[in-house]
Amino acid sequence: MFEELRAIQRDFGYLPADRLTTLAAKINIPLSQIHAVASFYPHFHLSPPPRVDVRVCADMSCHLRGGDQVRSALDSAFQGADAKKVCIRDVSCLGRCDQAPAIMVNNNIHSHVTGREAVAMIQDVLAGKPFPDRGHSAVRMAVASDPYNGTGDYAVLRRLVETRNWQEIISTLKAAGLRGMGGAGFPTSSKWELVRNAPSYPKYIVCNADESEPGTIKDRGIMENVPYLVIEGMITAGLVTGAQKGILYIRHEYEEPKDILQHEIDRCYQEGLLGSRILGSDLAFDLEIFVSPGGYICGEESALLEAIEGKRAEPRNKPPFPVTNGLWNQPTVINNVETFCLATVILARGADWYKAQGKNGSVGMKFVGVSGDVNRPGIFEVPMGTTYDELIHENAGGISSGGNLLAFAPSGPSSGYLPASLANLPLDWNAVAAAGSMVGSGAIVVCAEGRCMLDMALNATRFYRNESCGKCVPCRVGSQKLVEMLKGWTAGVSNTDDMQLLAELSTAMKQASICGLGQVVPVPIASVIKHFPSTVEEHIVNHRCPEGVCFG
Amino acid sequence: MPPDAIVERPARPNNVQLTIDGTPVSVPQGTTIFDAARAHGISIPTLCHQQNENPVGVCRVCVVDVGQRVYAASCVRQAEPGMTVKTNTEPVVGVRKTLVELLMSDHPSPCARQQHSGDCELERLAAQAGLGQSRFPTRTTPRGHDDSSLAIQVDHESCILCDRCIRGCDDIRNNWVLARRGKGYQAGIAFDNNLPMGESSCVSCGECMVSCPTGALTNRGVVKSHLEGDTVDPTFLTGLPVFENVSGTFLGLNRNAIVERRFKAGEIICREGEFGATAFYIVDGMAEVYLASPIAHVKTEGGARGFLSKLTSLLTSRDEDGRNEESTRSYIPIDASVDLPYRSPIAELGPGELFGEMTCMSYYPRSATVRAKTDCTMLEMLRNVLDIMQRNKTFREQLDRTYKKRALDSHLRSVPVLAPLTADFIDHLREHVELLRFQPGQVICSQGEVADSFYLVRLGFVKVSQHRPGGDIVQAYLARGSYFGEMAFLTGTPRMATCTALDHVEVVRIPGDDFQLMLDRFPDIRRKLETESAEHVEQNRQRDAQVADVSMDQFLSQGLMEAQSLLILDLDRCTRCDQCVRACADAHDGVSRLIREGLRFDRYLVATSCRQCRDPLCMVGCPVGSIRRRNSLEVIIEDWCIGCGQCANNCPYGNINMHPFPVEIDDLLHPGRTVASVKVKATSCDLCLGHAEPSCVYACPHDAAHRVNPPEFFGGLLKRQKIAKQ
Repeated sequence: MFEELRAIQRDFGYLPADRLTTLAAKINIPLSQIHAVASFYPHFHLSPPPRVDVRVCADMSCHLRGGDQVRSALDSAFQGADAKKVCIRDVSCLGRCDQAPAIMVNNNIHSHVTGREAVAMIQDVLAGKPFPDRGHSAVRMAVASDPYNGTGDYAVLRRLVETRNWQEIISTLKAAGLRGMGGAGFPTSSKWELVRNAPSYPKYIVCNADESEPGTIKDRGIMENVPYLVIEGMITAGLVTGAQKGILYIRHEYEEPKDILQHEIDRCYQEGLLGSRILGSDLAFDLEIFVSPGGYICGEESALLEAIEGKRAEPRNKPPFPVTNGLWNQPTVINNVETFCLATVILARGADWYKAQGKNGSVGMKFVGVSGDVNRPGIFEVPMGTTYDELIHENAGGISSGGNLLAFAPSGPSSGYLPASLANLPLDWNAVAAAGSMVGSGAIVVCAEGRCMLDMALNATRFYRNESCGKCVPCRVGSQKLVEMLKGWTAGVSNTDDMQLLAELSTAMKQASICGLGQVVPVPIASVIKHFPSTVEEHIVNHRCPEGVCFG
Repeated sequence: MPPDAIVERPARPNNVQLTIDGTPVSVPQGTTIFDAARAHGISIPTLCHQQNENPVGVCRVCVVDVGQRVYAASCVRQAEPGMTVKTNTEPVVGVRKTLVELLMSDHPSPCARQQHSGDCELERLAAQAGLGQSRFPTRTTPRGHDDSSLAIQVDHESCILCDRCIRGCDDIRNNWVLARRGKGYQAGIAFDNNLPMGESSCVSCGECMVSCPTGALTNRGVVKSHLEGDTVDPTFLTGLPVFENVSGTFLGLNRNAIVERRFKAGEIICREGEFGATAFYIVDGMAEVYLASPIAHVKTEGGARGFLSKLTSLLTSRDEDGRNEESTRSYIPIDASVDLPYRSPIAELGPGELFGEMTCMSYYPRSATVRAKTDCTMLEMLRNVLDIMQRNKTFREQLDRTYKKRALDSHLRSVPVLAPLTADFIDHLREHVELLRFQPGQVICSQGEVADSFYLVRLGFVKVSQHRPGGDIVQAYLARGSYFGEMAFLTGTPRMATCTALDHVEVVRIPGDDFQLMLDRFPDIRRKLETESAEHVEQNRQRDAQVADVSMDQFLSQGLMEAQSLLILDLDRCTRCDQCVRACADAHDGVSRLIREGLRFDRYLVATSCRQCRDPLCMVGCPVGSIRRRNSLEVIIEDWCIGCGQCANNCPYGNINMHPFPVEIDDLLHPGRTVASVKVKATSCDLCLGHAEPSCVYACPHDAAHRVNPPEFFGGLLKRQKIAKQ
């Protein structure tokens, strides 16, 4: 269905009602269902879009790096402009946190922009000049763990086709202790084994390349630099589990990684590494890329599967889990980009090599993104056990403008914020969990002194509110009410029982939401109340923002 | 089965043993926690789950503690061996209460359901939880209401997105009209392509409404029944094919809006010209439908003694006194599935047939008299029940069949232009035509579109308008028996006008290919259509010229430009002697068609007399379509006028009068005899046709009264004013 909808949107710029009616008859899907889907995804427009559609990223890293200033420059420059010509709106994280602030103009992303540049660019376009080149945002980096030194030999796959020792693959991954790198940390070997043992066929391998959480950029770096490790991981998972079909689900803002991956997939087909006879054997595996129609919720694994099935990306009630009831209700391995990449690394270099990569008593290695108030934001490949201090001050070049660290989020909004005093924590699943946070996807967002942490909590909560799918009550209604409460706090409106109400709301959202999104909505504000109580108190008792950020 | 009976039953191997609130429980594998608890007398509150639908677990009110990281929605979570379930702990109850409080903060309490029947499930849960005013901030962005359906009221403000209506529509009734729309806090329910419910493909089965836990979907109901007759049992109705697949509960809620009526042979069921609000469905027996009014028009004849002599009005038929452009129709359209032959306006209706649809849906006067031919049983219904029936798939199919079998021939032949159609071609069309329904305001075809169909009006009125600089211009109101959409085929151009349903409209669609075939096979039809079309084009051209020539502003705002011909009184000269009014009355049997009142412009009074308007509102609602315009734009009232007075009421300028005539009519009580009666016929200013000058103008002793063409007359005046200003 998405292909059909995209084709209509290409022709008309939006989805005219009569075309949807025609489409309903053509593909024999009720009009109501088509509309339900089309109205769900931000990628589709049900009314004609403005000539210049400007979206400004408003989330964590861009918020810290001047996104708000870009927005206000644009707002004042185009105040009162014809809404059919130019429209300026917020957009959720575009995955350019290392190049913040980013804006999207008619689906082209421009990063590192200033307000003046953005205004000039749009004025030029309105004056009839062509859209400027969006430039290349791909970051070239050497990946030290790459067993192939950039050549992509597919040695693991070649050996597996020969030995067909499926058990060895699973035991190696188990010995290495590889865990899901998307955030949840479920043991990869167990997932593959569960799907391998599931009696039902066909089975599917799905790669979640939809990273959309503010601060999360590491998968982009992996796909742009070692795409073959991801693809080899997927094929390997296919051969191990008996799946013959793989789908790489990538967010639509990742055009460059998509092109790089597609190029690599084409190469695999040419070299017989994909297809109905892999390396001349009777083993088969096909792989295709599925471009997401948009939305953070698509990164939730069951919502992602719903999206592939052409439905609204609403998370499923679990159990059952995807390992038994996944894509098209069939057994499905769904892993993150980094998980497939590290699986290949481990299988090529051995479990012992992987375990030896850690330091300070931690095991393994990880890709992380560091963004926000740092001098050299970027994607880094680091040993587990590296402290956050090291990541911030050494890898990322320290706090920008010579300031001091105030707080950091180990994994975007979902991990909440930790104070500078906890920056000596190591990148270690258990240690960070013990501190009440999580390693998650390694989306480290750094806040320097001078930031208002209540404002940062509101920013994170607003992201979740914007990205809630609306399926269940606690998340749909709760996230909105939470945003309104926090907005009140930063604007001088608060009630004496707010803390009690917040506690009740947080419990309900955490306990009763269908998926992880709803469950983590209260995390950012909870972490700020825990670690920065005086900041919160100043706002709600004295109606004063110590940093002079709020009450604007 | 009593709950304890299940507890007693020995565990079977495929049973699952678990503990719910401390009680060991055994249930078949696959049972949800919700059902397991219910079967053992433990009721878990819920909003989104009901027993006849597949659970979706979206309201989360039914969450229970199963000893895991987070609570589980009991309606979707299956019982697992060894599970320990707590349904009622303080934290669980607290979470439930918070969820209800969240929903209540956006709920317009008391909602429509709570007001009508006191059973809003959300408000009941809130009351049970002892919730007062919700502590959460309330919604600030309105979600809106939808009043477009005749049977169901939609209040999006009360919607809690439990998806019960969606599952009712899609899973239970397989209608697939309802779905979610949008995302997050902006999500809601939508009909089809987010259309108003009344314009959607909704079949009014009522399943959504009876599934809704709140006041989001409620029965519009009937405030107070005024229908005489016997109450009908909903189960009798659901047994009728025309109410197939309609929820019995829904019909039960509408029991005030439908009654059973029995008529003895010869009894009158309804009379032409009467106002009403009901339609009749024949369950059993035969009825006769006919026109009791004489088929004739009002004719004014001059006496022998000059202009001021009394003119006489009399009734005369088109055969005796053919008027310019008089219709040559051989059938008279009425508000039933048959047309009446002009020469002998009577027809029969039988079981399964419906009449009075336009009266019921749009409150037009009855178009014909219906009399029981044999003893009859009928269902008489108000518009909400008629709407349920009309949207019903089985009824639509039945109507479609009956129409094609019985009415298509007469409908096609009643259009004079289409008279040459042969029986075999009508048979060919029978396979291809389609009956389509439109709601008031819905566009049937748009100006500028490529034409793909030709249409005949079966029910209601279609407004034909053209978009012009300075605003839309209404070209015509098409009643039953009219047609539209032919021009684009004749000229090979895109549609030249937009056709919109003015009220509840049903049209017969003839696909473009078949219409083209008709034009090719019947050159006569093509020629006639071309002639008519050329006349329309000429009319439009003239109107364009008017629009282009004259400055609009104030002139338009007074509605004067609407007129084609105005009686104006020069106030500088008029002494208010009322001679003009008297002259008019004298000329027309003492009934004046002129009132010396009206709009003023400059020093002129525009007296009330027929303006032969550009938006001829008088034509809307004529139940038999007997008022129409000549090409000269003058109004003509055809001979089959039934004297209902609708046009006289509709004329905003009071220019159509009802003229009474003594007539002899059949005495219904004594068949074969006649009795004296009075019939009225509509008539408008005839410009004292046949005289050199209208009587009013002639009678004015001060030369103050003039009949003028407004653009010509005022055009000059406007120009002078403009120049003076500059």
